[in-house]
Amino acid sequence: MLDQLGNGLLLGIIISVASVALSLLYGVTRIVNFAHGEIIALGAIATLFFSSPLDYRVLFLDKFSPLGLNFVISCILAVLVCGLFGGLLEVFLFRPLRKNDVGNIAVLVVTIGLSILVRHLYLLFATGKVQNFPLELQRRQTYLFFDMTPRNLNVLIIGIIVMIIFGLLLTYTRLGKAMRAVRDSGELSSVSGINSDNIILITWISSSMLAGLAGIFQATINDVRWNMGFLILLLIFAGTVLGGIGTSFGAMVGGLLIGIMVQVSVGLPFMEGHTEAKNAVALGIMILILLFRPQGIFGKKERIS
Amino acid sequence: MSNNLISVDNLKKSFGGLKAVDVQELSFKKGELTSIIGPNGAGKTTFFDLISGFQSADSGEVSLKGKNISNTQPYKIARMGMVRTFQLTKVFDRMTVMENLLFSGSNINNDSFLKSILKLNSQKLYESNLKDKANQIMSDLNIGHMADSYARELSGGQKKLLELARSIINEPEILLLDEPLAGVNPKLAEDILSLITKLSDTGITILMVEHNIEAVMKISERIVVLAEGSLIADGVPNEIRTDTNVIEAYLGKADE
Amino acid sequence: MTSAKISFRLIFSLFVTAFSIYLVFLLNPDGAPRILLNLLTFAGIYGLSAIGLNVHFGWTGLLNFGHASFMGVGAYVTLLLMPHAAGREGEVTTTGLPFFAALILGIGAAALFGLLLGLPAIRLRGDYLAIVTIAAAEIFRLLVRDLESITGGVYGIINYTDNFQKYRPLFIDNFSENLGFSPSQAWVCLAAWVSIFITVLLLKRLSDSPWGRALRAVREDEDAVRAMGKNAVWLKLQSFMLGAGIAGLSGVLLAFNYGSLETTVFIPLLTFYVWAIMILGGVGTITGPIFGSIIFWVIISETDRLAYLLFENANGQQLAGVRFLLVGVLIMFLMIFRPSGLLGKKEELLLDVK
Repeated sequence: MLDQLGNGLLLGIIISVASVALSLLYGVTRIVNFAHGEIIALGAIATLFFSSPLDYRVLFLDKFSPLGLNFVISCILAVLVCGLFGGLLEVFLFRPLRKNDVGNIAVLVVTIGLSILVRHLYLLFATGKVQNFPLELQRRQTYLFFDMTPRNLNVLIIGIIVMIIFGLLLTYTRLGKAMRAVRDSGELSSVSGINSDNIILITWISSSMLAGLAGIFQATINDVRWNMGFLILLLIFAGTVLGGIGTSFGAMVGGLLIGIMVQVSVGLPFMEGHTEAKNAVALGIMILILLFRPQGIFGKKERIS
Repeated sequence: MSNNLISVDNLKKSFGGLKAVDVQELSFKKGELTSIIGPNGAGKTTFFDLISGFQSADSGEVSLKGKNISNTQPYKIARMGMVRTFQLTKVFDRMTVMENLLFSGSNINNDSFLKSILKLNSQKLYESNLKDKANQIMSDLNIGHMADSYARELSGGQKKLLELARSIINEPEILLLDEPLAGVNPKLAEDILSLITKLSDTGITILMVEHNIEAVMKISERIVVLAEGSLIADGVPNEIRTDTNVIEAYLGKADE
Repeated sequence: MTSAKISFRLIFSLFVTAFSIYLVFLLNPDGAPRILLNLLTFAGIYGLSAIGLNVHFGWTGLLNFGHASFMGVGAYVTLLLMPHAAGREGEVTTTGLPFFAALILGIGAAALFGLLLGLPAIRLRGDYLAIVTIAAAEIFRLLVRDLESITGGVYGIINYTDNFQKYRPLFIDNFSENLGFSPSQAWVCLAAWVSIFITVLLLKRLSDSPWGRALRAVREDEDAVRAMGKNAVWLKLQSFMLGAGIAGLSGVLLAFNYGSLETTVFIPLLTFYVWAIMILGGVGTITGPIFGSIIFWVIISETDRLAYLLFENANGQQLAGVRFLLVGVLIMFLMIFRPSGLLGKKEELLLDVK
């Protein structure tokens, strides 16, 4: 079981970062964003596009060639692209819907449509092939009591640092406080002095940037696939719910726990020969949490029924 | 005990650290028209929620007709003859006024899947009687012309009337009215008040939460005052008017 | 006033549907009947499923995103109860129930699964219920995929169609031969549309009934339903069972249309397809999904041609992607510009709930 701990931590950090992003967006806008996975995939696909060598001809129906940039710069650009994408979604799609008083459920269905649309755009342009970042292969090493490659260890560390910084920003900056105020009260009008449209816009941008980062993590650890975001979306929901919807710290811990549980459950005795069902374990836990402790591990008690 | 229709014994409910309701002993007799008043946040609506089963108490007991109904499902309490309305009017928005009443008047037996799919004659007969009854009530309440409108198209006051109509179609023994006059224009408020008095005269036991003190003083037979969840006064209107505790509670609120 | 409006919408929907069928002939000078049969078979099956979903969402307001699992339970239970072959080795099971007995048990199992999935609805509202139902449906799919010894896992189930095809009347064969159809698909198609006909009659009876009225009341305000002495939980569970049973039937038909059954059929995208059809036809209507489904499948089946024009060097998977992409656009477009769909009443628009 312990040999899976390293894998669990890695899956956990992906889900964790993505859950923090989802949770923040839900907290501020009350949107259950089914297209969250597509923003994650965008992070990975954009990085692939920026960093692949110029002669890499798999992408984009041979119509465009990759840019062949330095990998780190590619990652930074990709995160910015995700932020831009999120901002555009808010300005051109979700803000008009909000102004027209479209209900939450209708918006949820819109995000489903958006997810299907964007995901298949990726299929068209990034092909259905499984692809990898242009990085050399590395051997696993043992750190403390888990195994992973040095690169994946870096991913883990970067992920933790990013979340700490994000937590600090949310706690100590004026904007972060405003976001949390909106999230905790559920009332946009509760914040005076800051334009609520701007708060939502910045929430979309930062949530999307975090999601894009999660996508880069996922692609570095595993690979790039057009539907990679949708495959992990339900686990992200599970992480968010487990930690307590609307709490960033909860989403962070919940995401890590879900990742570890998914991977470690492979080693459980009754799971022998049933590795396919590992995600089912996490989803089952999520359902039980929603039914019996809907506020999650860290959430405040709130009536959701 | 015997002529107490509802009694409350040591009923407690708090949210977080905040005490919402803490009532030692309180009972209501058959046929009484009682108003429950108190400053905002006094726990009036929570008190209603507790006795109608919409929230469960932390401790204590509520009994209806001598039966303990703590932790009983709201619908079961309603079937025992105690029907409530809500502070924020709850009508079935996207159903017509007529449908609102038919649904409320129809008993569960009539609602059954099997009967509905077989369309038995007994159900048809039941429905046509129900329709007559609904028409009667609508014309009594002056909303007959709205029968085929969707409930969402009604004005705030008309919704209050509809909710009231819905509550009385099954001839309940006890009616809990949560702010029946809130947001209603003065003319309609008059009508609702006289309707409540009329209902009370037919022997229905009525409990009413209401902020309009003037109206409360005018029609209540008894007034119960809550403040910060506790009972601070209980008596006929004239006693309450001069009760120092009550005046203090209200003045204290004005002080804020 | 409303009845005139409704009949206008009905005529308009009929017109659009007829036009889209005409389009099939226009775009396919050769082999239009065969394409049309394929399209109408899928339209019938998905339309039936959407009718079931409408009982959940349109009538009762339950945000069910696990619809694919109801179809899956119906299909798997029915097939496994009949003679079939399953798994990597194609292990043959020769004994089993006759088709109709298995079908009834399959539908019953789907309804029971509906009851199970409905339990969370006792406690959860709107978006939370959506997440739980989609997760539960994924758990179902993952378990079916994993229990290879029973369900055939990723290798699926084969050799079961005879159980149903042996009831095929002779006139189908004669008729199909003349038009160049596959007679077995024609038989499935007929079964799907007969199922729709019966289901619609059934639901028409129920929608005006006190039971249907009670479901709509639950959709509007559960607390008020309780305050009127009605058991809202039981009503929701009944709704879940009825809709799931209908979906189960459609799942069985889908299995017979494919000829072999795999778990990948029941991915969440199937649920989203059915949602798109329901919204297109009109949430809360009974016959809306029928029109919605036909139009939907005309769009789906004619996009391949469009995709070829747009992307000359795309592969098969990508071409299929174009139709999914279009489904996404359709869902968004409808939600934003015409949430009441073809037949839905604006006054009863359900999707604007806060």
